Amino acid sequence: MSGDLVHRTLTLCRELRGRGMTVTTSHAIDAIRALRAVGVASRQRVYLALRCVLVARPEELELFDEVFAGVFSPPAEDAAEGPVRVQRRSPPRDPTATVSLSSWGEQGDESDEGEEPEPVPAASDTPALAEKDFSAFGAGELAEIQRIAARIARRLAARPSRRWKAAARGTRIDLRRTMRRSLSNSAEPLDLRFRRRKPRKTRIVALCDVSGSMDLYSRFLLQFLYALQGTVARVESFVFSTSLRHVTGLLREPEYADALRSLAGEVHDWSGGTRIGESLASFNSGWGQLVDKRTVVVILSDGWDTGEPAVLGEAMETLRRRSRRLIWLNPLLGSPDYEPLTQGMQAALPHVSVFAPAHNLMSLRALERHLLA
Amino acid sequence: MTSDEEATLDRIAQLLEQLDREAYVADPAIATSLHLALELHKPLLIEGHAGVGKTEIAKVLARMLGTDLIRLQCYEGLDASTALYEWNYARQLLHIRLQERDGHAAADAEAKIFSEPFLLKRPLLQAIAHEGRPPVLLVDEIDRSDEEFEAFLLEVLSDFQVTVPELGTIRARERPHVILTSNRSRELSDALRRRCLYLWIDHPPFEKELSIVRRKVPGASEALAAQIVGLVQHLRMAKLAKIPGVSETLDWAAALVVLHAEHLTREIVGETLGCVLKDEADLRKVRAEMESGRLPVGAP
Repeated sequence: MSGDLVHRTLTLCRELRGRGMTVTTSHAIDAIRALRAVGVASRQRVYLALRCVLVARPEELELFDEVFAGVFSPPAEDAAEGPVRVQRRSPPRDPTATVSLSSWGEQGDESDEGEEPEPVPAASDTPALAEKDFSAFGAGELAEIQRIAARIARRLAARPSRRWKAAARGTRIDLRRTMRRSLSNSAEPLDLRFRRRKPRKTRIVALCDVSGSMDLYSRFLLQFLYALQGTVARVESFVFSTSLRHVTGLLREPEYADALRSLAGEVHDWSGGTRIGESLASFNSGWGQLVDKRTVVVILSDGWDTGEPAVLGEAMETLRRRSRRLIWLNPLLGSPDYEPLTQGMQAALPHVSVFAPAHNLMSLRALERHLLA
Repeated sequence: MTSDEEATLDRIAQLLEQLDREAYVADPAIATSLHLALELHKPLLIEGHAGVGKTEIAKVLARMLGTDLIRLQCYEGLDASTALYEWNYARQLLHIRLQERDGHAAADAEAKIFSEPFLLKRPLLQAIAHEGRPPVLLVDEIDRSDEEFEAFLLEVLSDFQVTVPELGTIRARERPHVILTSNRSRELSDALRRRCLYLWIDHPPFEKELSIVRRKVPGASEALAAQIVGLVQHLRMAKLAKIPGVSETLDWAAALVVLHAEHLTREIVGETLGCVLKDEADLRKVRAEMESGRLPVGAP
């Protein structure tokens, strides 16, 4: 194999890594081995082999094609017959959106300058804090949100599963342990051992609106998503404004500030307009398999939709039909003069099983009680 | 070209031909992925919509290698004892009774009843303890199992050895060829993805699907098959809750052949649409489109 080919392959690996794909050294080694295994006679074969080794999910296919075409650009004369179909559709980055978001993590100190310093919330926080609107929250006050989110998540998560575990008293006899036991007992299975269902982990799918109208709340709501993900294993998170974006991986950072930073780098139409209906419809068609009768879907949005209300209504109906519960948390519901009169909200409401405010700690506690019922 | 490269081309061509012969229409991406899985000794993760023929690929591979296919069908609640091994309790109890009748103490039986004849091998252990040529291990619909099982499977896949406390460690003589399939009903862990080669199978384009229908449902005329495939391809672009796969196309074609349909009419489509669309809301939506004439059906 030529040195040039090895060099290009390594460049490909490096660039894919730079664009956010998980490409480890062992991937690179496998890539070289793969080329050796398929031979390098045709460009298509090289393409298929490298794709097989380096891509790990369908969302990466397009990116791979783009980077591959750049690194393995064919000589000019046969460029036309290249078998690789390439689409260049990476959205233009908006640097301003990135900057404003990434500063959120550390924002607390500077942005609160004019205000009175709020005490760090303790287990029993002051009434003032409980009723304080999230739009006025500083970064230091997010800890309490995190605690409540964790409790809510655990509550949503506990249900009996199909998995068994050993138990002193249970619904079924555990043959294996009974058998073991009986051997010390002249093989008489006198002492029955039991097993019972382990609590099942419900899956939560959270879809968070990060459009311009939600600006004041997005920071808190993302914190909520972050905390949800940290508490129960089965949470899938999405953000949307004009388009939908899967962010579970980005929110997995151990530090919230890092998670925000990587979000800022990846989400491009941050603080733009809102097309809730289309975003939910594209969730249904692209990610619909994530939702089943054990899934709780949580939508966090103010319902200001610039798209067709009918599209939103239909997407909501599909979601309701497929999920166990469809919850809509609306921060605006907290203000006394708000009524859900927007066309989008009107179309969505008939399908929602819980419609609740989420603008301060008190409303979150109420939500917790609600979910328990 | 070196002789190695020729051998490689041979194998990929052979795989292509085999895929073709099994009436599963061949695709260079599939053949290349299988070839790499064999050469690099890595598991191959195949993802795609339901009904694109993922499971079929493992069967073809086993037939081509002339080896056994061992299938582990995943479901929620699948645990190590169902996937790996279980003791045969009924036989153990029976054995103890017989021992007692012959005047042996029950405690003496212990070593005996926890030995290999009393072990029920489940698919994973079958694949590891397999004699002869390494088998193809198909872990079907891994996304239906839970995360705990996925972690357990990852462990098994990394060293192909299993420790049965009463028996000791059982090691695979040669690594089985492993194929995993997923419908993406949940996201698989990065760790699992990292360990596998990856193949995404999309719905086939028109010509490819047409040739699948022609081959699997020979009773359908060329014209009818083309109309069916055309309509299904059209439906896939609509925003439906359950997008029809190739198997739905085939079911539909077979149903239409039974009804002696020569070509699609609005009535026939209306009566048989249930073969293609399995979701009530989808059916309603598409019927409405047909009524309004926005969905072109069949010959004018």
